Amino acid sequence: MKKFASLFHDLDSMTKTNERLDRLITYFEDASPKDSIWVCWFLAGNRIKGAIKTGELRSFLSEKVNLPIWLIEECHDRVGDLAETVSLLAGSNSKNIPLSLAETIREFLLPLRAMDTEERKTTLYRAWDLLAMDEMLPFHKLLTGGFRMGVSKGNLCKALARVGKVEPAVIAQRLSGNWTCDDLTMEDILDPSDGEKDPMNRPFPFCLASPLQEKASSLGKVKDWQVEWKWDGIRAQLLTTGGGGGMLWSRGEESIDESFPEVLDCIPYLPPGLCIDGEILAWGREGLRSFSRLQKRLGRKHPGPSIQKKEPVRFQAYDLLRVNGEDMRSLCMEKRRKKLEDLMNKMPGHLPLGISPLVEEKDWNSLEIRRKESRDRGVEGFMLKRKDSKYESGRVKGSWFKWKVDPFLADMVVVSAQLGHGKRANLYSDYSLAVWDESGNLVTVAKAYSGLSNEEIEEVDKFVRKNIIGKFGPVRAVNPSLVFEIAFEGVKASGRHKSGVALRFPRIHRWRKDKKIEEVDTIEMIRGYAGMDENISMAGGHKTDLDGNLLLF
Amino acid sequence: MKNKVLELRKEGIYCPDGDFFVDPRGNVERALITHAHSDHARPGHSSYLCSDTCKPLLKLRIGEHSVINSLPFGKKIKIGKATVSFHPAGHILGSAQVRVEVGGQVWVVSGDYKPQVDQTSEHFELVKCHGFISECTFGLPVYRWQPEKIIHQQINQWWSENAEEGRTSLLFAYSLGKAQRVLAGLNHEIGQIYVHSAVFPFLEHYKNAGVKLPEVIKIKKGHEYKFDQAMVIAPPAVEDSTWTRKFRTARKAFASGWMAIRGGRRRRNLDRGFILSDHADWDGLLEVIRGTEAEEIKVTHGNGDALTKYLGEQGRNCSVLEGARIRGEEEE
Repeated sequence: MKKFASLFHDLDSMTKTNERLDRLITYFEDASPKDSIWVCWFLAGNRIKGAIKTGELRSFLSEKVNLPIWLIEECHDRVGDLAETVSLLAGSNSKNIPLSLAETIREFLLPLRAMDTEERKTTLYRAWDLLAMDEMLPFHKLLTGGFRMGVSKGNLCKALARVGKVEPAVIAQRLSGNWTCDDLTMEDILDPSDGEKDPMNRPFPFCLASPLQEKASSLGKVKDWQVEWKWDGIRAQLLTTGGGGGMLWSRGEESIDESFPEVLDCIPYLPPGLCIDGEILAWGREGLRSFSRLQKRLGRKHPGPSIQKKEPVRFQAYDLLRVNGEDMRSLCMEKRRKKLEDLMNKMPGHLPLGISPLVEEKDWNSLEIRRKESRDRGVEGFMLKRKDSKYESGRVKGSWFKWKVDPFLADMVVVSAQLGHGKRANLYSDYSLAVWDESGNLVTVAKAYSGLSNEEIEEVDKFVRKNIIGKFGPVRAVNPSLVFEIAFEGVKASGRHKSGVALRFPRIHRWRKDKKIEEVDTIEMIRGYAGMDENISMAGGHKTDLDGNLLLF
Repeated sequence: MKNKVLELRKEGIYCPDGDFFVDPRGNVERALITHAHSDHARPGHSSYLCSDTCKPLLKLRIGEHSVINSLPFGKKIKIGKATVSFHPAGHILGSAQVRVEVGGQVWVVSGDYKPQVDQTSEHFELVKCHGFISECTFGLPVYRWQPEKIIHQQINQWWSENAEEGRTSLLFAYSLGKAQRVLAGLNHEIGQIYVHSAVFPFLEHYKNAGVKLPEVIKIKKGHEYKFDQAMVIAPPAVEDSTWTRKFRTARKAFASGWMAIRGGRRRRNLDRGFILSDHADWDGLLEVIRGTEAEEIKVTHGNGDALTKYLGEQGRNCSVLEGARIRGEEEE
């Protein structure tokens, strides 16, 4: 645990990516493979789930350190992080009996879930007595699952690639999907063979587009680019193995087989050793439906026949990464597209399977005009992919862009604030925002956390502290006067919110210091946006072909 | 607050029977000063009274021409009908708790204090009283200090690691008190020590009071220095100023009790935070408050709600000193 604790604190204090990368490499070269595999597992985004409920953790702590629960809550508010709060309160300068990371996890973390309350308490008390001060925070981060060390999965792969002298892409595939520290070893991960023999039941790391920040015309000739609509669904890879097996992986590399059984039903029609990249969309007889319809299917582990019938989905394919076990990712986009079209053309029409159509225009200006159709079509804008680009791992610059429609904007006033977490602990950085309703009252429509610069957050924090007019648990009501322009992607009706609407991805666009509270927008205006998003009008002329594809041209 | 001994006026804590204020704002006739930090020692009063070791520091803060009288620790004097004495608070050199006795009732105004050992200031003295006005800057149990020896070791180790890499160590510490406390623990064999000009003037008074400090070089404008492996001590206020530009490749750290929380460290974007505080930690506050045997406790300076509620649950008569200013995080 010593080496891991020191890695944890070093990474935490480092501000430069390269420094972190070097530090991680040093760790892998120095630590035992049995510990390293756990670090890989965590940095790959895995968590120990359900080890303990936070309420129980608080009550154990309260008993152990003999402090009332409310005081632990006060501390949590000040610290802004439960794992750190527990570490600060339960830590003691004890005799530290050195345990390895793997031992600590196997002895104190993995068994917790299956224990009864009393056993869990005894186990944690023992851990608190054994762990050294600097081991407390990493331990509790693993315990509560909020584990982040400022190392992306991409950088983990880079570090491992340098340790094992293997291509990062090969490492990335070995680390993707569901695996445990029992079925993968450091030796497997660092195996110097080129990955040809690796199993085909894991997704490839997704290729992610960057937002287009320049003018589209700066990208050169239109004919060098493949243009598609940017779908508003769930990104996923559909895989077939052999012998009729297959699976569906989300971008978060979670297996989502169970949520979308109708997509898996396509597997018998697909060739073995296949991997296609695409989007799961809500899709009825009339064609594309809004994301809020798809949400009715999310979070449902085993959708029954009635919900499948009422809220049908389809897999809209847009890339081909592997076919007959052969990795296609280094072929250019244009060739992959051709192969994908050939494959999809052979598919029977009744399957919930489609291909993302191309948008072809002679110049950027015409495309720009077409882009304005996005909202009515229920898509988010365009995807631009260079025809000569490979399928790369992670976020790429220069070859894949998302050219999104402009967000909706509305001026809102801050009505309450809450202390932030992590880097923003002890700063009022989370805000509830309101607009005017019909009877002239302010009604909360959104919460926003991001979009201000650090200096602005400090300034708002000072304002909040001077203008608190009420206290509701951790929430402070503030004198409404700060006006922010809020950007959001969509609106839908919501029974849960008093205002009757819920915004998608609200964030602070800018601080309107020039505006007064009277100039804040109305709920009517926001509901108006909902209309545009919710009723994706197909009557307006869009037709579908026999396979159910939207006819866009 | 109003009792037989002290009351709260708009200028601050006032003793009617002695006609004096403790650490007041505004302009008053007679000001008793607990210590020379600027949020306690303000210019503009007609006369000042402080501890003997505080006097030269106070002079630097409020100017040569102010009328400053001083007392040795423990010596009782009469001011009007009140008996007054100063007792070491252990916060910084010369810092005092003010004991005020009127008609057999004793109140103590703590100023800022720390019961932990610190070689640069007089050791905290526990004073029994009926009423105790306590600071509570770090009034939550997440604040628990380690012995200063450990922190000094951490600082020296950080310095020598940086020196090995050929990097300057730039350590931010409040110019009065914290800077001297850091200096006293530095291992001079690692390299040269430089101090910002705001830190320098206090050093001779520390030395005069018998505090051992290493030799330092004062950084002057327009001079060239070789900072390569040096330790540089500067006040946190200069962190974002042009002054720090010359230390572009330096490793930066901050020594403060606020560094106990990770968010505080990370927000400052520093390489390190050393948890070194001149205030009482949670256990220190409880230990002192219990030790005074006071029947009435008022807390000030900081977020006193939690401490007040906690002591209340323990059956103590404790409340937040109303009207006292809430202190921000930046001052320690």
